[in-house]
Amino acid sequence: MTSLSETPSITTRSAVEEFLFHEAALIDRWRLEEWLDLFTLDCTYEVPATDRPDADPGLTWSLIHDGRTMLEQRVIRLKKPEAHAEFPHSQTSRIVGNVQILDETDESISVTANFIINRAKAGKFDTYVGRYDYDLVPRNSSFMIRRKRAVLAHDMLDPQGKISFII
Amino acid sequence: MTAEQFVIDDRENNLFRVNREAFTSEDVLQRERKEIFGKTWLYVGHESEIPGKNDFQTRDVGGRPVIFNRDRNGDVRVLLNTCLHRGSSVCRHSSGNAKIFTCFYHGWAYRNSGELVNVPGNEDYKSEPAAVYKGLKSPAQVDSYRGLYFVNFDPDAPDLLTFLGEARYFIDLAADQSPEGVAILEGTHKYSLKANWKLLVENSIDGYHAKSVHHTYFEMMMELGATPPMLGQDTVNGVAPAGMGTEFPNGHATLMYPANGLPLATDSVKRTLAGLRAQAEQAFGENYANAMFGLARNSVFFPSLILIDLSFGLTLRTFYPVSASETLVTGWQIIPKGVDEEFVKYRINNALTFWGPAGLATPDDVEALEQAQKGFGARGEIGWSDVSKGMGKPVPAANDELQMRSWWREWNRRITGEQLPTEGTSFVPFDKQGVDA
Ligand code: FES
Ligand SMILES: [Fe+2]
Repeated sequence: MTSLSETPSITTRSAVEEFLFHEAALIDRWRLEEWLDLFTLDCTYEVPATDRPDADPGLTWSLIHDGRTMLEQRVIRLKKPEAHAEFPHSQTSRIVGNVQILDETDESISVTANFIINRAKAGKFDTYVGRYDYDLVPRNSSFMIRRKRAVLAHDMLDPQGKISFII
Repeated sequence: MTAEQFVIDDRENNLFRVNREAFTSEDVLQRERKEIFGKTWLYVGHESEIPGKNDFQTRDVGGRPVIFNRDRNGDVRVLLNTCLHRGSSVCRHSSGNAKIFTCFYHGWAYRNSGELVNVPGNEDYKSEPAAVYKGLKSPAQVDSYRGLYFVNFDPDAPDLLTFLGEARYFIDLAADQSPEGVAILEGTHKYSLKANWKLLVENSIDGYHAKSVHHTYFEMMMELGATPPMLGQDTVNGVAPAGMGTEFPNGHATLMYPANGLPLATDSVKRTLAGLRAQAEQAFGENYANAMFGLARNSVFFPSLILIDLSFGLTLRTFYPVSASETLVTGWQIIPKGVDEEFVKYRINNALTFWGPAGLATPDDVEALEQAQKGFGARGEIGWSDVSKGMGKPVPAANDELQMRSWWREWNRRITGEQLPTEGTSFVPFDKQGVDA
């Protein structure tokens, strides 16, 4: 880890926020192919188990641990009408806040943020809350996502029951 | 309630129906709490979840809060997590390591083997609480099979091995996958569904819904070069490509079919799997190793322990009702011990694509069950569900419904006392000789 004093931050929080808000809007609008384009080819998309929020989702019985191939498949599936849990699509509205740049090197920056997602489906509202951890790679005056990790601040998925949309 | 009928078992016309009231009535749930969750063997946890002395996990089992732990001598215990004083939980963590459980309400303290060892203001009691109350209670019976621990709140219930009967061979097929044994991975899937618990029993052993509900999953498998279930060509140990369903006494049932191709398996993963298979062949013979690694299996152990081995992953789930229309599920992943990290990662990645609240299959199952529960609102007009598929066939296929009928007959026997005959014989897909030894 490079200390911030050695490498003064050249990335502004507002640039990162703009990127995260853009990502959030793409998901909320179900523009999932465009969302997928935000990810690098060596990306991971992770959601740890609610009872092991700090564990490696690749080595524990986590909720999501997708590499690029599975992430593509997830998006392909979610666009099909036979993805029954999401047809008709639920409506989500997410607020991303408390954005902090934790570290920055020439190649990547690590960012954390909080999220609140409200999901409406079939007359019911469910709320998902937690923290995002990102590794972002600067690219064309914006960023790409090398790692996205959504750590739920839930002790179990009750009453939410399922995560059938992109969290 | 009097003499209502929950199950119609019409052998003449091979029709089997279940009264939808069974899924919606709070009165039925009260009877289930007493006759099923109060009298059958219920799954608590696996020994690998409490590996060391003083390790514990807290669980809700059939509506009772329990502590599943190892005491300071390393003995496995199940303690009812309620203070003898005035009821509060004595342990409020989901897991951890503790020698003493101290109730925070008035400070009564219990050793992790149960004995009450400290009562603040003990001198104010004429009869000492420790002498009067001894210690935390345990369920009437606690027993284990192959590392899986069960409890029974009925002191008169037949023992665990008798209860499991031949169905226990399907636990063996999971437990024997590595000579070092198997373990539960860290991390649990804990989620609720807005549907009756019996709908999840049906769904967990329902091969019929696979094509319609999991269509998108199968498309994905094919895109990644693997054959979806029941679409292969091979017969394994007498089990045809279409698979088969089988029933056992006490409501346990299994459906099985030749295992499919593994999506995205690397050479190293295939080598590890071949190694496990070779070890199993050596220890138990080819026939048993074939059943273990060549067949996929979904089993239900009455009432609500499910073991599913789809060869790309091995999941264990249990669930208990919160109300007639709400169920709390806990799911775990079982992994053979001693395999390398790449294999563990592979199994997790593959299993996660299918199972769990964020998998590409489970949420669609949940959706189906919640929609069914909603549909039961019209039970005044349409009062019965059909579970007849494959009834009367000499060998029901994996996508027939023998498994559910077998389970429902046991449910019916326990709830109404009406004993209905079984349909056929139990089938175990391997030669049992030498396995028992
Ligand atoms: S209820 Fe536990 S000490 Fe009083
Ligand atoms: Fe399913």
